[in-house]
Order: sequence, then C-alpha cells, then structure tokens
Amino acid sequence: MSTPVSRQSLGDWLTSEQPVSRSQARLGQIWRTWKLFSGNRLGMVGLGIVVLLVLVAIFANVMAPYDPLLGGDLRTERLLPPSWEHLMGTDDLARDIFSRVVHGARLTLLVVALVAIIATPIGLLVGTVSGYFGGWVDTVLMRITDIFLAFPRLILALAFVAALGPGIENAIIAIAITSWPPYARLARAETLTIRNAEHIDAIRLQGASSPRIIWGHVVPLCLSSVIIRVTLDMAGIILTAAGLGFLGLGAQPPQPEWGAMIAGGRRFIIDYWWVATMPGIAIFAVSLGFNLLGDGLRDVLDPKAGK
Amino acid sequence: MALIDIENLEVTFSGGGRHVRALTGVSLAVEEEDSFGIVGESGSGKSTVLRALCGLTPVTAGRISIDGKPVPSPRDQAFYRRVQMVFQDPYASLHPRHTIDRVLSEPLVIHGLDHVEKRVEQALEDVGLGAGFRFRYPHQLSGGQRQRVAIARALILEPKIILLDEPTSALDASIQAEVLNLLDRLRAQRGLTYILVSHDLAVVSHMCDRLVVMQSGEVVEELTREALQAHETTQTYTRNLLTASAGFTRSPARPR
Repeated sequence: MSTPVSRQSLGDWLTSEQPVSRSQARLGQIWRTWKLFSGNRLGMVGLGIVVLLVLVAIFANVMAPYDPLLGGDLRTERLLPPSWEHLMGTDDLARDIFSRVVHGARLTLLVVALVAIIATPIGLLVGTVSGYFGGWVDTVLMRITDIFLAFPRLILALAFVAALGPGIENAIIAIAITSWPPYARLARAETLTIRNAEHIDAIRLQGASSPRIIWGHVVPLCLSSVIIRVTLDMAGIILTAAGLGFLGLGAQPPQPEWGAMIAGGRRFIIDYWWVATMPGIAIFAVSLGFNLLGDGLRDVLDPKAGK
Repeated sequence: MALIDIENLEVTFSGGGRHVRALTGVSLAVEEEDSFGIVGESGSGKSTVLRALCGLTPVTAGRISIDGKPVPSPRDQAFYRRVQMVFQDPYASLHPRHTIDRVLSEPLVIHGLDHVEKRVEQALEDVGLGAGFRFRYPHQLSGGQRQRVAIARALILEPKIILLDEPTSALDASIQAEVLNLLDRLRAQRGLTYILVSHDLAVVSHMCDRLVVMQSGEVVEELTREALQAHETTQTYTRNLLTASAGFTRSPARPR
C-alpha cells in the first residue's frame, strides 16, 4: 500500500479514480456527495440551522443566562419586554424566555431524533419486505399500513396520549407510530422498481438469502429517498409535537417545550406579544431549516430529480 | 450423456387473467465443454430458457437435469456453485452503490470460501482488469469494463456452466470483439460449458459449435457451426434470419 497523503493533497486522494482501499473508496464517495451538496446554497442554509439547533441543544446550560424553570421576582420581573437583560423578555412567571427557548431546543431535538430513530427503520423494514416478497406478504403488510394511514396523525396521537397519559415520551411514541406508514409506502414503491433489476437477479444467482438481499442490496437504494422524506417530515413532526404541547398533551409544565410555551402566552398575546411569538419564531426557523435541508438532500441524493 | 438436458420445457406467464406461453415445449441437450448457441428474434423465448434453467423464472412443465440429476427447485447452493450467468446489460447488472470489491467478494462470503482477498485480485486479473479497478464504483467504469466485472463475478465461484444472456449486445462493436475473445479464452483455459443466447448470428457463429434457432417459444432448427456458415438450413425462418443478419443490401432498382 502506498502512503496516501504524503505526495498528493487530501482532495486528490479523495477523488482518486483508483482508490487503494475500501475506506478510501467510501470516503471518496462521501466527499463527492458533499461537494455536490455544498454547491446548493439553500441546502447549506438548512444544514446551518439544523447544526445550530444541535449546538444550542448541546450547550444549552452554557448559553442560557437564567434558569429555564425558576422565575425571577414575581413582583417586578413578570412579562418584561425584550431588553438586553432579557433578550426575548420574560413570561408570566417571570422566567427568561430566551433561556426557555434555548432549553426547548433539547426537547425539540429529542422529539425529532427519537421519532426518526423509531419510525424510519419500521417504515423501511415494512416497505422493503412487502415490496420484495410481494404476494400475500405484501397484501397483509400494506393493509396494516393502510389502517395506520387512515388515522389522522394528530387525532391518533391524541387518543394515544389520552390512553397512556400526557407527557413528552408518550407524545414521541404517538408521533412515531403515526409517521411510519408514508415511509413504508415510499420504500415499497422503490423496492418494486428495484426488485426486478438485473443486479438483484445476479445476487440471487449467487445464492444470497432474502434478508441479505433486502438489507445489503435493496435498502441502500431505498435509503436516500426515505432519508429525504424523513427530513422533509421533520418540520411536520416538530409542529405535531408543538401542537400536542399546545393542547396540553405533550410536554408538561414547567418543561420549556415550544408548543406549550405558545399555549402559555396565548392568553395575553395582544398586550405581551413576545411571550407567544418568541417560541413561535423558534419553531418556524427550525421547521424551515429541516425543509431546506430536505430539499437540498433531494437535489443531491435523488437520482430521479435529474440534473 | 449430455451435461445439461432440457426436456419439453414449458413456461407460461400469467397475470391479470392473461396467459402468455413463452416456451411451448423446448428440448435441448448440451454436452460438457460445449459452447451452445440459442438464436432467435426478440420475444422468441431464448432468454426465458436461461432464466428458467437457473431458477429465476418458474417452470410450468418439463424437466431440467444436469449430469442426469433433475435440478432442485428452489435451486440449492451447490447449483449456484456450478451454474452462473452473465446478464445482457452491464449498466443494470452491477449494484450502483457497491464497489467492484464488494460485488466480487460477496459471493465468496455467501459460500464461505477462504482467501477472499487473493481470489478477488485473481478474478480481476483473469478478466484483464488490474487491481486498480478493485475499489471503484460501477459509475467509474465503461460498459466494456463493467461487463468484464460481471464476467469476473460469474467466474469467481468457479462454476462449470456459464449462461450468457446476450453478453455483448449492449456494447459497441470493438468492445464486443474484446469481450467475446475474453470469453473464448476463459472457456479454453477452464473447460467451461457455455450456453450463449444472442440475436446476432455473427456472434453465435464465432462462439458456438452448435446452435438452435428459436421462434415463438419453440425450437425450429438445430444446426452446427459449419452448416450455419455454409447457409445449409432447412427452415425458411432460419434463412430469413440469415438474410436479415447479412444487413441492408442495396439491391439494384427494379425496372418498372
């Protein structure tokens, strides 16, 4: 093996037409995708917002100037307008809204990450298995998917939360079980176009088992469109979580969840507009960020989008 | 006794209440280390014979046996070690997200063979691709190089029988010759048995000692290479194929 970095620059090494190892080939592929993505300005803005959300969530303790749960003096510090003391003002319990919005990023990220981790694999598995095997497996799995699709998402989440009791964990589970069916549909449609491809016939002729074919050959080809869809859905998931919070069924007080914060500010929105507006802006910005990121990813990853 | 024996093979595709009889009783016998050709127009069922033989298409009726023993259905691992296939379209037969290394090493992993590294390098060497191609993705290769990878994949399990489904029809003429010569050389070196499907009579007469002509799911005529080259055919259909393959000839304008 030659020493890769000594003679040539890192970029040359990554874009080499003759990679000398598995990892170089993989890194090169990632590098090419990144080059393509970084040329997409709106996608980069979306990525920036999402990275900012992650950073804020990680460093919430450092960034927040006040405690998000304990308010200040109830006689003098309630409902103060935005100022240098309180960047986004204070709410009716004299809590600093900026600190609460910063800590709310953690809850939002938790919801987004857990829903993605729960719903994406279920959707991928159901969709690829159903599409690959066809026949009665397909019929059974797709009718189950239809049943889940037939429920309005917020209503099912409401029923679920009502049964299990309100709280952020139950809200996450409720959102996850209502959001996988579209991914299953998408993965199935992709699988139907892939399963008769010659490269699938070829690996079948090599004696590969069905799980190996589905996991190693079908899933990688479905993954990009599912990832795009999940990213684009993130905005909707955040809004559903906020909606549940707004209705009092998601995060419970005093947790600084953005939807619940809007609900709290609703009573005095005319006189003290900042109480409801500030978390609203946060929801808007993060949703927009995920949408832009999803659009950018689609431009790069979706082979059907074309150039 | 013949190595591959196909008797009265019938394949019917059903769907949406319609039945299409792709094969209506095809019988073939291929000797060991033979190169056997199947020619015919599009839709004559020649590819279906190969797909039925290797189990990609379910058989409606008839018998397929190799070495006198009927092949199991579904096919077992031992069958895949003996019989491999090269597909028509090198752009569709390689997984777009897998490196050449993965394409070649996966069959070895499935069958639990040892010395994966060495075998992969050797396989690339055998088809005239250097080790520099090993970690490339298919999109970094040309059509001819891809088809060489597909041939390497078919050979890596060291099968004795290779099914070739129009292996060169997606390639341009100069690459066609290279790939055909490669296939010829590999057969001579390893004592392989080929069944080659093609619509191109020139390819078949170059590659095959014996051939059958198929039309609408039936074998119309069986020929040797010599008979084909001497145009000694008994069937009108074969003669028409031969005329068609001679290409467009500028016959003198007929006087009115």
